[in-house]
Amino acid sequence: MKPATPPAANGTALRVTPTRRSALPGDESIVVDPGAAAGSGGRSGGRAVIGAVTRHRGRVVVEVVVGGWRFELDVEPERRAMLRDRGTMSAVERSPDGPLELRAIIPGRVASVAVAAGDEVDAGQELLVIEAMKMQNELRAPRQAAVARVAVVAGQTIELGELLVVLGSASETTAAADEP
Amino acid sequence: MSPARPPEAAASLRKDGTVEPPFRRVLVANRGEIALRIIRACRDLGMETVAVYSDADTDALHVRAADRAVRIGPAPAAESYLRADRIVEAALAEGADAVHPGYGFLAERAEFARAVEAAGIAFIGPTSDTIAALGDKLAARRLAAAASVPVVPGTLEPAAVSTPEELAAMLGRADEVGFPLLVKAAAGGGGRGMRRVERRDGLATALSAAAAEALSAFGDGTVYLEREIRPARHIEVQLLGAADGTVVALGERDCSVQRRHQKLVEESPAPGLSPDERRRLHALAVSIAAAARLTNAATAEFLFDTDRRFWFLEVNTRLQVEHGVTELVGDIDLVVEQFRVASGRPLSASVRAAAERAADPPRHAIEVRISAEDPAREFAAAPGQIGRWRMPEGPGVRIDAGVESGSRVSPDYDPLIAKVLVAASDRPAAVARLRRALAEVEVTGVQTTLPFLQFLAAHPAFEAASLSTEWVADHWDGPTDRHAALATAAAAAAEVFASGGAYAGAGVPAAPPRVAPTDAVPSEDGTVWRAAAREAGVDRWPR
Repeated sequence: MKPATPPAANGTALRVTPTRRSALPGDESIVVDPGAAAGSGGRSGGRAVIGAVTRHRGRVVVEVVVGGWRFELDVEPERRAMLRDRGTMSAVERSPDGPLELRAIIPGRVASVAVAAGDEVDAGQELLVIEAMKMQNELRAPRQAAVARVAVVAGQTIELGELLVVLGSASETTAAADEP
Repeated sequence: MSPARPPEAAASLRKDGTVEPPFRRVLVANRGEIALRIIRACRDLGMETVAVYSDADTDALHVRAADRAVRIGPAPAAESYLRADRIVEAALAEGADAVHPGYGFLAERAEFARAVEAAGIAFIGPTSDTIAALGDKLAARRLAAAASVPVVPGTLEPAAVSTPEELAAMLGRADEVGFPLLVKAAAGGGGRGMRRVERRDGLATALSAAAAEALSAFGDGTVYLEREIRPARHIEVQLLGAADGTVVALGERDCSVQRRHQKLVEESPAPGLSPDERRRLHALAVSIAAAARLTNAATAEFLFDTDRRFWFLEVNTRLQVEHGVTELVGDIDLVVEQFRVASGRPLSASVRAAAERAADPPRHAIEVRISAEDPAREFAAAPGQIGRWRMPEGPGVRIDAGVESGSRVSPDYDPLIAKVLVAASDRPAAVARLRRALAEVEVTGVQTTLPFLQFLAAHPAFEAASLSTEWVADHWDGPTDRHAALATAAAAAAEVFASGGAYAGAGVPAAPPRVAPTDAVPSEDGTVWRAAAREAGVDRWPR
């Protein structure tokens, strides 16, 4: 969902989105600056009652009732939401000599795995698909490489930062593939 | 012992001077707010209570409130609260000498009343014969017509419409009734087997469809016709009859604000009626009750058209959901009175006094129904678990609730969870009090009808008592009202996030934070991802 208001310039901006089960057609994400939000906006007399606050796959879902209307609102930093909007799905962790570790930048569930240890992959080739926020996100190889290790299996729930795939040279592949 | 005691009380005095309870032990064949309401009346009268419950209600409030409780089956009502046999069995096993059915479920099933009576237990309501006679809508129409009460124009006998000849005969009768009209199932209720017909050319189709629906729903495909009176107000009269044959009208209630025949708001007295009009209406209701030899509590429903005429609709032979407004206006307890008259006592002095004031009552009361329904989604049921539960308090406010914080609102039963009732010296004061009371309500966990009720209480058309059965359709736009609240809600949610879960905005005490939100941004070198718990405010937000 695209935000209804332009993202605030400063880094404290938060993107608030009704969760799927609480959303109605026409609901949009709203970008809020928490500092500026205090005492602002809303219809007159719109008092907010806070209900359950839960963490959901690393995100925070806040239940708010205003004027009797109950919302479940997913809150996340706008910076992070924008990163996700750009389609960035993995962090490429480089160390000078080591292999290339691909880690999850959002929590979710592994929908499918397209490669196995030992496979040669080209740049841009699909490695696996992660389902997060009801979207299928493809993780693609950043360069040509051999798959040293696949650290997850289809159906597995993954946390933020969890190791997904290790890419390396052919010689490294052998060593890494021996790991259980 | 005081010599000033009225004779009816003296007749039931114990040796120690206290009044003998009408019954010893009462089984309450219901659940939710009405079960609690009845249990309270039993307590007030010094009677023991037996609750019944399904598997969905093991932890329900009414089970805890009663002295005893009997499981009667699994969650679906058809296997528990509608099992007349199990309930009678439970009443016998627990030694109950009275059964109160509440409203809904078995309250208007003549065969249940008969089974209770046959078991030698008092059924708290009209007799099974009266329930059967008035439960047949057409029989009730005939009875009212015979008592010279104007009934909604239409046919008075059930008619089959399966052959071309029968259909042709119905078309002829429809012309006499006039259009638009309603085709109703003779054995029906709850809108099933009912069709609205605008013009003559749509009648044949509607008759066949209604008959087929009625046949499958009630096993009886006969139908009747009723002219549609629209716009109209829905006004009903509270009746109470004693075993000695006296029947009184305890004032009327305006229940015009409805949605699909579901009442949302009820008030008493009906605004804008003159004392003479009230007296006339009450007399109509009493003559129907007398003709039906009514005992105990019942309600006669009428339509009030724009020409200020009353048209009899039907009689409900039970306590109504909205009985509380009559209690507030008349300063009486209808459930207590039900027990009293069921034990053979005459009408109490307070009831007789309320009946005398009924045409010009000293107070005004309004009830609204808080239901677990979504008023932005056509009032669809919204079951779930109640989180925060705060009901209004203070002068002139009465709450009849069936839930508390943590209660589950089951999809198996009626979504009504609480009734908010207010009373004041006149209608404007009552409306103001209703607005005040509704502003105090805080419910989380489930969507409720609160937005609609707040909207209504603040609406000029409601304040002006401009009521009709079309009110909701004419005034309410749920999605738009909801959308207006989203920005405020988003700001509040952002505050919660930014303050690590401890919300401090708008003077609203926050629920204790259950988690520390985490942020999820790359570290400076861009090589490591981390999920760190935020501890404080926005000044520590990573950039």
